[in-house]
Amino acid sequence: MFSYYVRLALLSLRKNILLTGLMVAAIGLGIGAAMTTITVNYMMSSDPIPQKSERLFHVQLDNWSPNQPYEEPNEPPDQVTWLDATNLLQEGRAFRQAAMGGTSFVIEPSQAEQKPFIASGRATSADFFPMFDVPFLYGRGWTADDDNSQNLVVVLSKATNDQLFGGENSVGETVVMGGRAFRVVGVLNDWQPRPKFYDVSTGPFNEVEEVFVPWSLKEPLELPLNGNNNCWKPVGEETFSAFLRSECVNSQFWVEFEDPKDADSYLAFLNNYVTEQKKLGRFERPLNNRLMDVMDWMEYREVVAEDAIMMMYMAIMFLVVCLLNTVALLLAKFLGRSGEIALRRAVGASRRDLFLQYTVESAMIGIAGGLLGLVLAWFGLQGIGGLYGDMTEGLNELDLTMVGFAIVLAIVSTILAGLYPTWRACSVAPAGQLKSQ
Amino acid sequence: MSELGPIFRALLRNKVGAFLLALQIALTMTIMVNAIHMIENRSSMMARPSGLDEANQFYLSSNGYAENFNERAVVEEDLRNIRALPGIVDVTQINAIPLSGGGWSMGLQTEPGDDKPSVGVAVYFVDDHGIDAFGVNLIAGENFNPTEITYRQRNEQGWPQNIIVTEAMAKELFPDLTPAQAIGQTTYIAGDEPMTITGVIDQLQAPWVGWSGVERVMLVPQRTEFRSSRYFIRTEPGQRDRMMKAVEEMLVAEDRGRLIRNVRTMEETRDDSYRSYSALQTILWIIVIILTIITALGIVGMVTFSVNRRRKQIGTRRALGASRFDIMKHFMLENFLVTSVGLVLGVGSSIALNIWLVDAFSLPRIGWYYIPVAMVILWVVGQAAVFGPARKASQISPALATRTA
Amino acid sequence: MLRMHNIRKIFKTEMIETHALRDFNLEVEEGDFVAVTGPSGSGKTTFLNVAGLLETFDGGDYLLDGQSVKGMNDTQLARLRNEKIGFIFQSFNLLPDLNLFDNVDVPLRYRGFKAAERKRRIEEALEVVGLASRMKHLPAQLSGGQQQRVAIARALAGQPRFLLADEPTGNLDSQMATSVLDLMQEINQQGTTIIMVTHDPMLAKRAGRNIFVRDGQVSEVGKEEDIVELLHKTAQVG
Repeated sequence: MFSYYVRLALLSLRKNILLTGLMVAAIGLGIGAAMTTITVNYMMSSDPIPQKSERLFHVQLDNWSPNQPYEEPNEPPDQVTWLDATNLLQEGRAFRQAAMGGTSFVIEPSQAEQKPFIASGRATSADFFPMFDVPFLYGRGWTADDDNSQNLVVVLSKATNDQLFGGENSVGETVVMGGRAFRVVGVLNDWQPRPKFYDVSTGPFNEVEEVFVPWSLKEPLELPLNGNNNCWKPVGEETFSAFLRSECVNSQFWVEFEDPKDADSYLAFLNNYVTEQKKLGRFERPLNNRLMDVMDWMEYREVVAEDAIMMMYMAIMFLVVCLLNTVALLLAKFLGRSGEIALRRAVGASRRDLFLQYTVESAMIGIAGGLLGLVLAWFGLQGIGGLYGDMTEGLNELDLTMVGFAIVLAIVSTILAGLYPTWRACSVAPAGQLKSQ
Repeated sequence: MSELGPIFRALLRNKVGAFLLALQIALTMTIMVNAIHMIENRSSMMARPSGLDEANQFYLSSNGYAENFNERAVVEEDLRNIRALPGIVDVTQINAIPLSGGGWSMGLQTEPGDDKPSVGVAVYFVDDHGIDAFGVNLIAGENFNPTEITYRQRNEQGWPQNIIVTEAMAKELFPDLTPAQAIGQTTYIAGDEPMTITGVIDQLQAPWVGWSGVERVMLVPQRTEFRSSRYFIRTEPGQRDRMMKAVEEMLVAEDRGRLIRNVRTMEETRDDSYRSYSALQTILWIIVIILTIITALGIVGMVTFSVNRRRKQIGTRRALGASRFDIMKHFMLENFLVTSVGLVLGVGSSIALNIWLVDAFSLPRIGWYYIPVAMVILWVVGQAAVFGPARKASQISPALATRTA
Repeated sequence: MLRMHNIRKIFKTEMIETHALRDFNLEVEEGDFVAVTGPSGSGKTTFLNVAGLLETFDGGDYLLDGQSVKGMNDTQLARLRNEKIGFIFQSFNLLPDLNLFDNVDVPLRYRGFKAAERKRRIEEALEVVGLASRMKHLPAQLSGGQQQRVAIARALAGQPRFLLADEPTGNLDSQMATSVLDLMQEINQQGTTIIMVTHDPMLAKRAGRNIFVRDGQVSEVGKEEDIVELLHKTAQVG
């Protein structure tokens, strides 16, 4: 019976090919526009480290001015000071913890023909690599010993290793950075969490850094800051060391727990820490420390761009218009066939039979529209890539989930659109229409 | 127009179909009004003048890396050499580039003290050639004196005595004073360090185009010794591309233990900074245009159906004395009515969506004129869409009335 | 009133030419009640369409109320239909979405009467057919006979010079048919010329004058001839 309905639907769709084309095009365009924008939003809001995002927490401490909050109404700064990051690292109360901040180096390649270049860098502590499941191509991250002894070690990104060592295993080799010789201990494999959750301060979809060095080197080497720095009170002495020990926030601190429930006791520890610091004249505001897991933190920092959200709403409304269009056309089409319906009813078709027949017909429009929509979404995403450039790199890719979602969305919405017309068609009385005309 | 009554009463018997179309038109209007509003909003933001002579400006960054890099000597020599090139109007060392997205901000206040309100301002460290290199106009006070330019170290906390601010910044600090009266006024930086306004320039934008205070800028008479700085260069009209090459070649010719990078024009910088704006505009235009086409095609489809279903009725009307024009008028009027109902709904939903957008995305209110303009556009689109099927309807023979089947 | 002289109407398809009317001649005087009969395919309907200005003809002359309609454009024909002719169709052809008032109103609108004038005429016409009390009803709420009365009211409201009826009782049972025919006779007696096309000989007999159409040509039926026999004969021949 089902194949009979499919055949009937095909016949009916082919009979009025222009109208079928119009409906399929409308659904396709609607789905295409919606999928394009939904995909961008979906990629922006995706979980960058799903296997443990519930166990990774970002730390916020409120060291801001007693006279005004960092942000209204009473939000703590979104970064911490170098001093607090260093202190918390030393305390080591969590299962794993990493202090970090952006920096940059001038790298002088050993080959004479290569010119010096500037590389983005991250100063962080040993746990960074196991904590964030960072994949290694060669070697591994440095150890806590390296951190403590301020050893000149470096982990290179895959691209940097390709550039400096032609992709060879460079563990043990030396790289001159900022005029000093660093020993390579590891080379990363391809790694680009999206969003770049561990530091969203200069843009949530920036590229991962090119070199990683121990956090403990920041002070002795006076590593420059590459990122945001916010101060609420003058630094005082004009030295790098004084700057690091000021109330300026420019570092990030992340912790990992074996069990998310440990967050409560860690927050208690943080409050305790701040209370102790208050005795030194710091932290003049009431206790206002925060621990947020990865996804909460992404939401708090609003990594999904407003424009993307606005565009998605517009595109969804666009889809609704396309569906209304389809409902109206299907209604007109089905009602135009009252004669045929009455005849079918008269020769014994039940309401259910007709319902199936017309639902199959709407579903087929949905499938065709969905496929067209997918193609259009692909073009739409390419278009977005072209319009936005690097900004959307990695955000304009259709994955299997989205492809499935698009097809389901198309079929479900078209069947829904066909529901009312189908119902109206099925309620045609068997006799009524045969008599007149 | 006298036929509106019966047409309207007939439509009421076909509520659902007509209502669906009206709803579609209402939504189309809602999207159209708000999308064009967003487009206009972005356009007006992009149209804000930066104050610069953008077509003739470029910049580059110079990063010292060598242990023996003598920044002060290198910068002074660079500036001198660049200025000496024919085709160059002027050059200044600067810490950040307008519109580029990255820069330095501070708070200025009119009374000293940590607990006093302060006004955020973008900071450009420039020398006495800054104003000329920017191409901005001094509207009050004086430019910096070459002798007052000092050097600023990386961790330095203090501030020089004199500053130049934009008119917008002066107005923000001293709402009641004219630019001329603002000269000599004292403001406080970092809470309690006094600075004197010695000049006011007409206009200059901060590095952050999305910042509400983008017009608020102060010029500080210092050269930086941060090992990394930028040169902001203005050329004679039409000389920019040639000078970019010449300056870069000249600076890299000699190994001074520094890297020259990021040689870019102001125009590129503007395009980059506003890329997401123009991208959003393009996308919204596409949505509006396709939407209008779909709605128009939907109307064509609906009217075609309605004509086919009413062939005999049309024949009857023709038999009873309707001319072809009467039949066309009938369908045009019918569509006009449905469209009008849709547009009335659309006025409400457009305003509702706008209120929500104002609320959720802090977009400004729509101008009242968007509503009538969108209505007229959709009326015209509707009438144009009906025209084809209506013409076909008018070709139906009156003899159809006597046919029994 | 109505004069047709050597009217020709040809339908062409790729394969064949069909002469639906050939040298068709007919004169109808003011106040006549003419019944037109003939076997199916004889050209009855074509005659009706041509007489009612619903179709153009290919040759000959047609004078309606003294006016030659040859060469008139579509708009002029529409105007003439509207002013001079009232139509009554077999399947009534009421507009289903309009109530009785609005249905009767249709030709008056095209005539361009003022609202008050239209209202007066509509109420009068519905009064004549006895349906004044139901003018807010939709056609679907009426019986077939009532619907045809509305159609007659619509035809009369414009006070046309003649009525053109196409199988006016074809969709009605005999009782309803009788009452509709009574009404038409009454209208005829008040001076309106009526031409009625029908295949029903009993109906035709009630008309003052009988015309028989065969192979696109016309012949007068004498009082003594029996239409039933005529039909019977032509059926055998054809």
